[in-house]
Amino acid sequence: MDATIFTDIFGYYTAILPMLLILVGALVMPAVYMFTRKKMAVTIASLAFLIASAVVNIIMLHYIDSLGDYIYFGSEDAPYCGIFMYTSFAGLLILLFQVVAFFAILVSGVSSEVTKLHFGAYGALMLIATAGMMFVVSSTDLIGIFVGVEAVSISSYALVTLKRRDPRAAEAGVKYVIIGGLSTALTIYGISMIYGALGTIDLAVIGAKTHDPDFTYSWAFIIGIVTMMAGYGFKIAAAPFHMWAPDVYEGAATPVSLFLATGSKKMGLAVFFKIFLFMFVGVTAVKVEPVQYLFAIVAAVSMTVGNVVAIAQNNIKRMLAYSSIAQAGYILIAMAVMTPYALTGGLFHMFTHVFMKGGAFLIVGALICAGVGEKISDYNGLAKRNPLLAFAMMIFLFSLAGVPPLAGFTSKFVLFSGAIYNDGVMSQWIWLAFIAILNSAISLYYYVRVIKAMYIERPAKGADQKLAIGKVFGFAIAVCAIAVVVLGVYPDIILDPCATAANDLLHWWM
Amino acid sequence: MNQLIPIEYFLTFGAILFVIGAYGVMAKPNTLIVLMCTELMLNAANINFIAFSAFMGDAYGQVMVIMTISVAAAEVAVGIAILLNAYKVRKSTNADDLTSMRW
Repeated sequence: MDATIFTDIFGYYTAILPMLLILVGALVMPAVYMFTRKKMAVTIASLAFLIASAVVNIIMLHYIDSLGDYIYFGSEDAPYCGIFMYTSFAGLLILLFQVVAFFAILVSGVSSEVTKLHFGAYGALMLIATAGMMFVVSSTDLIGIFVGVEAVSISSYALVTLKRRDPRAAEAGVKYVIIGGLSTALTIYGISMIYGALGTIDLAVIGAKTHDPDFTYSWAFIIGIVTMMAGYGFKIAAAPFHMWAPDVYEGAATPVSLFLATGSKKMGLAVFFKIFLFMFVGVTAVKVEPVQYLFAIVAAVSMTVGNVVAIAQNNIKRMLAYSSIAQAGYILIAMAVMTPYALTGGLFHMFTHVFMKGGAFLIVGALICAGVGEKISDYNGLAKRNPLLAFAMMIFLFSLAGVPPLAGFTSKFVLFSGAIYNDGVMSQWIWLAFIAILNSAISLYYYVRVIKAMYIERPAKGADQKLAIGKVFGFAIAVCAIAVVVLGVYPDIILDPCATAANDLLHWWM
Repeated sequence: MNQLIPIEYFLTFGAILFVIGAYGVMAKPNTLIVLMCTELMLNAANINFIAFSAFMGDAYGQVMVIMTISVAAAEVAVGIAILLNAYKVRKSTNADDLTSMRW
């Protein structure tokens, strides 16, 4: 089946068809809740819209990959009006966001942390945030990227605070909305400066202007780049812009933490790939090197801060939050190296991170629903209470640390080798790969601390009976665990599409 | 053309607004004032857009301003609801009191 059936029916709207389906779902979700008053009904309806959108997306992705063409959004008079364009980069990341939203919505339906009150709004906000992420990756214009990012941010402020009676959630919401507002302001100021310096907000025209040999950096352009980098740095929680992330992930309900840590962070990284790689890949080395060093320093600081501070954490959600900060640092290596191979590694690591970090958060959420606390000491003796669950947690944590043959090892291998080796010669970014490998070793310490608690420590008195988790949680965790193992031993299924997407994004200027 | 106000004046005005907003975000303890300061920073960007748009004769800047205003409105609506909720649950919206989670 090919996508011509969609283009026949939807015409120029085909490029945004996956998002439109999800937005329709978001609009009907409050009505579904009003008529049924059941969490399950809303969950099933949201998942139905999500799966429909995923099927459409996979068909479209297959179609443009076999054709080597793009699907444009426009009208009869202007077939390319320059706002949305469905490329294989966009299609691949849309698939990633759909996977994230699938896990988050699936477990929200059964998690006791998400209240039944306002569940219609909860489902709608989740779908709107997903659609916003999808608009961001398919947008070719700074307006589209900005508005998409805001759609995600504003709905996630509400999602974090929906656990209303909990004082920690209320505090996390206030912190998130203030830091988010600051990051929005920085971003839009940066965009205004770039608009002034280059006279346009279309990414293709911006790229053409920065690749002009006569182009020199004006002060407005430099201010624009730096403030925009800071603004979107808050969104991906890279150090030194990371302070909100542990508080928000700890205060929010665990399905929402999962959604933010795996989805919203990937959206920020996709924005970096789109804007900055478009501007700087293939520009002469003298001009591009300062930007590369800026990203390299942010990456190095981010992984070091994330891993070192994670050692001191006792709350497992905070520990996973700091580990996410470190993972964002690893992925930023792709921004410093700026080659298609490194970008392939970055995209692949984004995919494996969804399954390993998502799986770890799913286990934390399942255990909270089963009455186990959030402290690492609460996990004492888990291997005796539920051996399968402890084994799955061990797989996810080892994968996050990068132990072969799991997915985390394979993706880190591709990512770091891109920094070491470039076109048959030793790359200048070998020191960055060295810091990253050192950091992987540090990270093993705090991951193994949890494994030690599960396998070696004795359970606390009165908490040594068998532990059962819900079937839905079990299903989601099993899917993640299988994905982590399969992507580790047979990475080609995701690595090849990642390479296609990376070449597709960068071929304009290579 | 030379009887127009030069663009530097607009940009300086925008930069001053931005810095005042950034100072307020970092220094003020009351979170409601902090939220208002982020609005100030957004309006600084709007002034830049309008100035660039007028001086370049390009309409995209004005489109961007409309987008920014609508985004800012949505953000304030959600933000104030969150502050009200925090006040209900914790009896304070002071940034110095919202410190149950650190490090």
